[in-house]
Amino acid sequence: MLLRAEFRKLFPYRTVWVILALYVLLLAGFVSVGGGVTINGKQLGNALYDFPTLWPRLAYVASYFNLLLGILFIILITDEFQFRTFRQQIIDGSSPVGLVQGKLTVSGLLALFGMVAVLGVGLFFGFTRAPKTLSHAPETIGAVLLYGIQALGYLAVAGTLGFLIRKSGPAILSFMLYAWVVEPLIRFVTPDQLDRYFPAKVFDSLTPTPGREMINTITGSSNALLPIEAVPLALAYIALFWFLSYLLLRNRDL
Amino acid sequence: MILQLDNLSKHYGTTAALRGLTLEVEQGSVYGLLGPNGSGKTTTLGIALGVLRADSGAVRWFGQPLSTQSKQRVGALLETPNFFPYLSARQNLLLAADVKRADPRTVDAALELAGLTARQHDAFRGFSLGMKQRLALASTLLGTPDVLVLDEPTNGLDPQGIAEVRALIQRLAAEGKTIIIASHLLDEIEKVCTHVAVLQRGELRAAGPVGTILAATDRVLLRLAADIAPATLLHALGQLPWVSDVRPEPGGGHSAVLAPEHSPADLNRSLFAHGVVLAGLEVRHRSLEAQFLELTK
Repeated sequence: MLLRAEFRKLFPYRTVWVILALYVLLLAGFVSVGGGVTINGKQLGNALYDFPTLWPRLAYVASYFNLLLGILFIILITDEFQFRTFRQQIIDGSSPVGLVQGKLTVSGLLALFGMVAVLGVGLFFGFTRAPKTLSHAPETIGAVLLYGIQALGYLAVAGTLGFLIRKSGPAILSFMLYAWVVEPLIRFVTPDQLDRYFPAKVFDSLTPTPGREMINTITGSSNALLPIEAVPLALAYIALFWFLSYLLLRNRDL
Repeated sequence: MILQLDNLSKHYGTTAALRGLTLEVEQGSVYGLLGPNGSGKTTTLGIALGVLRADSGAVRWFGQPLSTQSKQRVGALLETPNFFPYLSARQNLLLAADVKRADPRTVDAALELAGLTARQHDAFRGFSLGMKQRLALASTLLGTPDVLVLDEPTNGLDPQGIAEVRALIQRLAAEGKTIIIASHLLDEIEKVCTHVAVLQRGELRAAGPVGTILAATDRVLLRLAADIAPATLLHALGQLPWVSDVRPEPGGGHSAVLAPEHSPADLNRSLFAHGVVLAGLEVRHRSLEAQFLELTK
């Protein structure tokens, strides 16, 4: 019933489809031009699409588009404050837990959409540009799952800001400022052994920059967590942000 | 008892919106909540419906604290019709039915009731205020609740729409539903309500059956026979301890208020015994409006 109610809100909403289409187009567009990039006088070419390294590369590229999913999610939450539909749903029988569960479900659907899009784009480019390496595709498929967890993480942050600020413009701005300005600034003044535990840093550790191993050999070991180390922390942060959202909804007037 | 509000208080910043409000709504009553703008009507209903947090006090529906089960027995419209603007009337009602765990098939009947069957596939955002209000009223009836809570239900409706809502409320009341209406349209309340509570600045000024609230200050208009001096009347009235607030009336004659246990016949008999003969005696029922203005003065 909960899922059906959320579907009833999502499917007819054009904004949802526009942003999701934009997500797929930008991701696919970005990946398709990647082969033309020249590094050290050598064009990357179709080697870029070779499995098994395609999945981690794609997950890293997709991590930049979490912003779009986050913006969409903030719109979906702040809409309900603006239309007073959260209020009406409480009147009609929902509880704050029910409302939070509904949006948690939506965040799961958006993360799932992101994973399916990454899979689809990966398979498309793998098939068309590096078909000989397809047999290696399953080796690193876990990177897509890690990307899904990262998307859930950013959506949890976006959701909390939506529940906190209730207005789409300021909430979207805060989301971008937090991920790109505020947390990096705080990390900058925080000792190295601590800053890798910040939420956005933990989420980013799930999709490491491709070729980090090579960079590490030059600059010394990076202080970021390994993806597999970041998973439990990321899940803990996701739970924490959703709990904060619940507290906000429970303790304030609607 | 359908609804009990016990000593509710609520502040918005430093403004006290409700101060120790206690109210009880009995089963089968049509309960009118009256008060000027900002008197706390919507705050009271918001707390009762669980969307506003009271600073202190308790709400009980059907003798129990507010719960999902109790909410499913109450259909409510608070302040404004709250729907998704991009969804059609039908899609909005289907969604509301899901939240209320009501049968989606009841949506057709609700659309019919709202007179929106022909426009059920149009987006809510394109509706007039009256259409939005009718859709909200129809939505409150999904799942056939025992109790309806309607905050300004005739907002935005034309005279015909207002009459339709009144007829609907009377029909639902006749079916035995309990209805709680907040309104500043006194005329409407007087036409449909069995009970009223008057709020002012977050405090309860009066509450009870409409008849009691009104009858308490019905005035008796007295006109003397031509050969009797007014002073005789005033003297005779002064002898009767159950007569109060004697005033001269603009068209000649006097009016007074009787204590509840005394009837106009008692007054006629007593005055005649004092040698005062009346040429006319009339009970003037006070309108709810006059009573309301008196209470909130």
